[in-house]
Amino acid sequence: MKIGVFVCHCGENIGRTVNCPEVSKACASFPGVVHSEDYKYMCSDPGQNLIKQAIREKHLDAVVVGSCSPHMHEKTFRKACASAGINSYMVEIANLREHCSWIHEDIAEATKKAIDLMRFAVERVKFNHPLQTIKVPVTKRSLVIGGGISGIQAALDIANAGFEVVLVEKEPSIGGHMSQLSETFPTLDCSQCILTPRMVEVYQHPKIKLLSYSEVENVEGFIGNFKVTIRRKAKSVKEELCTGCGLCAEKCPIKKKALSEFDEGLSNRSAIYVPFPQAVPNVPVIDRSVCTYFKTGKCEMCKKVCGREAIDFTQQDTFVTEDVGSIIVATGYKLYSIEKKPEESIYKGYGEYGYGKYKNVINGLQFERIASASGPTSGEILRPSDKTEPKKIVFIQCVGSRDESKGFSYCSKICCMYTAKHAMLYKHKVHDGEAYVFYMDIRSGGKNYEEFVRRAIEEDHVNYIRGRVSKIYEEDGKLIVKGEDTLAGLPVVIEADLVVLATAMIAQQEAPKLAQTLNISYDKYGYFQEAHPKLRPVETNTGGVFLAGACHSPRDIPESVAMASAAAAKSLVLFGADMLEREPIIAKVDESTCAGCFYCQKVCAYNAIEKKEIRDRQGNLKKVVAFVNSGLCQGCGTCNATCPSKSIELIGFNDDQIFAQINAFAEV
Amino acid sequence: MEEKFEPKIAAFVCNWCTYTGADLAGTSRLKQEANARLIRVPCTGRIDPVFIIKAFENGADGVLISGCHPGDCHYNAGNFHARRRWILFKNLLDFIGIDSSRLYFSWVSASEGKKWVDIVDGVIDAVRIKGPFKQYKKMNKEIEIPVAVEEGVSVK
Amino acid sequence: MNELKQICKDALTEKKARFIIGYKEDKNKRVKPFIAKTPEDAEKLTFSHHAVNNLAVYLSRFKNNIDGKIGIVVKSCDLKAVTALIQENQIKRDDLFIIGVNCSGVVLDVAKEFNKDNTQIKCKYCQAKTPPYYDALAEESKEFEMPDDDQAELMAKIDKMTAEERLEFWNAEFEKCIKCYACRQVCPMCYCEKCIVEKSEPQWIDSSSTSRGNFSWNIIRAFHQAGRCIGCHECERACPMGIPLTLLTRKMGMVAFSEFGYRHGTSLTEPTLIGTYSTSDKEDFIK
Repeated sequence: MKIGVFVCHCGENIGRTVNCPEVSKACASFPGVVHSEDYKYMCSDPGQNLIKQAIREKHLDAVVVGSCSPHMHEKTFRKACASAGINSYMVEIANLREHCSWIHEDIAEATKKAIDLMRFAVERVKFNHPLQTIKVPVTKRSLVIGGGISGIQAALDIANAGFEVVLVEKEPSIGGHMSQLSETFPTLDCSQCILTPRMVEVYQHPKIKLLSYSEVENVEGFIGNFKVTIRRKAKSVKEELCTGCGLCAEKCPIKKKALSEFDEGLSNRSAIYVPFPQAVPNVPVIDRSVCTYFKTGKCEMCKKVCGREAIDFTQQDTFVTEDVGSIIVATGYKLYSIEKKPEESIYKGYGEYGYGKYKNVINGLQFERIASASGPTSGEILRPSDKTEPKKIVFIQCVGSRDESKGFSYCSKICCMYTAKHAMLYKHKVHDGEAYVFYMDIRSGGKNYEEFVRRAIEEDHVNYIRGRVSKIYEEDGKLIVKGEDTLAGLPVVIEADLVVLATAMIAQQEAPKLAQTLNISYDKYGYFQEAHPKLRPVETNTGGVFLAGACHSPRDIPESVAMASAAAAKSLVLFGADMLEREPIIAKVDESTCAGCFYCQKVCAYNAIEKKEIRDRQGNLKKVVAFVNSGLCQGCGTCNATCPSKSIELIGFNDDQIFAQINAFAEV
Repeated sequence: MEEKFEPKIAAFVCNWCTYTGADLAGTSRLKQEANARLIRVPCTGRIDPVFIIKAFENGADGVLISGCHPGDCHYNAGNFHARRRWILFKNLLDFIGIDSSRLYFSWVSASEGKKWVDIVDGVIDAVRIKGPFKQYKKMNKEIEIPVAVEEGVSVK
Repeated sequence: MNELKQICKDALTEKKARFIIGYKEDKNKRVKPFIAKTPEDAEKLTFSHHAVNNLAVYLSRFKNNIDGKIGIVVKSCDLKAVTALIQENQIKRDDLFIIGVNCSGVVLDVAKEFNKDNTQIKCKYCQAKTPPYYDALAEESKEFEMPDDDQAELMAKIDKMTAEERLEFWNAEFEKCIKCYACRQVCPMCYCEKCIVEKSEPQWIDSSSTSRGNFSWNIIRAFHQAGRCIGCHECERACPMGIPLTLLTRKMGMVAFSEFGYRHGTSLTEPTLIGTYSTSDKEDFIK
């Protein structure tokens, strides 16, 4: 092997403390080195030309450059060498600047160290192999999990760019929490009015395949090449026949038994139901847990009235597989719920607020339904217990948020804004009513957000009280709210007609399970983890899987939409090329010595190790060995260090290369 | 008069955190002693205990291993697997008699240039006090050093 | 004795196993491994205090077995090796017909009778005379008074030495090593197809029997056993030079237990120590 050595002075940056000509001279005597020179600026055009010229004239096989950190110019020198005809992975960089000249003062010491670092690199490069970047084909389709506003936005963006999207929603309809909202801050425009056109657009889009009432069951493969298994839950209704006339739901005899999920339990629904009139798709499903037919085998009312014969009680869950190149996770959030029976709840806090015990203590989403024109009270503010108009209403912020002892230490971010909105909506509808808000701090960062809160306080005269509520109890049909005004330093007692708790936004309970299916990380709260908090906020550690909306952390609608578009853009970047190029630094198995203990599989964080059967010509199984899926391997080398027989090695950092470096240590 | 002993330190560092942290020490011009030689690996998970043994065999008086803080691993969990491996290996070396003042572990992130300098200087000082690793050097002497390979000998 | 023979005979007759790896007594009264292939062979099978060998060492060669079950006679200590091999994908539980034997200790010196002074070290701290699981169980359980665990005392003594003294102690021991690799050959957990010591590109461990090569070989062998050794002490029994190898492997087992609460080969379902981690693993030694 003919090795060329090039020592850069980096102006004076290296040259000031390292005697570069001496280093170059010392390197010339290393075994295998046929060319050695130093130059003022190796990374400059003339410097690169020196390397190229030497490669051509001396027929070099490998190059070692002593320069700045490989993180700076490794790519530059690799490219230069590649253009002169040697493989770019036959180049090694010795870090003579950051790791030597800049940190030492004594010229003799620094020069000696520089020679050592060069020797390490020269010894290492002798065991480098020409490598080719790995090219994997990209399936230009995307899977979006979750049909809330984030999922809808991501799906539409990708579909409008001309690529197919599979949109999976676990509920019977898309729309998510946004479809439940009355009006949205800070503009007070009607939520459904801006959302439903988007939902219809999704339904009618030729590039979007909507799978409602479905859940992701399994994910295999890797970036550009995922194979997703989706469970289509039995709707008990043949989707292709149903016209959405609604007669079945109307005639269903068990109107009173099931609580409407859409109305947050404030109204009832039938056993066969569409969640809300604008549902997309407008196809009902049978809730088998309450349906008389599924419980007793009798009734079949819906089947009798359906003119299209769309009801099918025998329907089973089915499974479909979809090939996609990217996955966008937009599974949203749920509200911290203080269950009706606190002892059965996984959330122990705030029993003292009486949620579940007192009908007139409700959460933010329930208030949205009460305030919504499509809600159970048709938009009239009426309290649940006796359907009378509350004259005094108390809003309590940070129920569960910012409270490590009872809930979660994070801020749910949207509550300050929606509480201001709630109070405002209330005041707009109940002119003689009084609204009180208990708050810890008002966090209203965002365009026109602070102005919005000021409007609630100044124009709509909402009473903001800084302090916590300690107890709520019922007395003569009133809710006695006992709290403290910490600014006045006085205890406060309010006889309220209705109390609204701004409960924390929390991760979906199934989030950790989905994270495991997708092989992405999640934090201690169950929110999905981004690849980098600053620079890769919508990517995950698994290539090709992106995050959108509140499944990542609490966020409001505009932020969710922005994140969804960002995730869509990330997918589209992926779809921009036919082949995906990857660094060839991946593990490789020596099948002849692999004993199949699969410890490598256990330590692999990327599920990149598979089992491969080796058979003889007659087809008899000879052995089962590890096999590296080059699409999934990220090149950490943990398998290499774990393998007792070194039958799996990380190309580019293989044992030979590191061994050579350690051996070179002998001459330090 | 006895010549002043200068220890040789072999340092195995991960590419993403400690190597970059050491780069930062350089960009910040933080001066440090010149006894350590870094060997870059992608992840602490890549570091096999044979590296440590081999470093001692090649004359290292001390070995330093450093990577990303727990939870910060570029490869999710490489450092967690590494940490478990170190606990076992360190206990083994302790039992065999290679005491902990020859082998050091640290977490140094890409932003901890100063911490890196302190760690390196600390290790160099500690090993300097400890003196040369005589026991291992004695074993090394037994092995005949092969005659230097002639120039032009082909290598694989 | 009839019971074991009968179980094996039935198993072979009823084809519950296509052969049985067990023990037989040779004409010099030495108990040796023996493979019974026919019901007649089963007559020769035996078990006694002299049945020292861990027969699980033969199992990994049947990892791609497709021809019916393999019968094996195991003591409770040997069963740990079987369990570990199942966990490490070297054999499938479904491919085994496990004939457990109640064991009340095996001899150290096979030429002498079993008694208090002629007992394997492992028996002195053995917790289970009866294997925790099996397909058939033979032999009656007998109680023997076990002598003190003198190895534990020695370990404590080594722990108290200074690092220099320990290094000296081990250098003196490893000095004896002749690199015959009997310790590896006899070890049921050393099933690699090519041992690291035999790899030449690169050669991490000097193959020559110098103190440096011996040192690194024994360290790496012990490390590769860390969290994996099941404590059958076959390595030490096989070592012709009398190196106290189980001091190292037992120490690593104790570390695995004290640091991680883990004992290899005791559960078919528990995740292995190597290959898993806990975010709360100790790190007081990391700066």
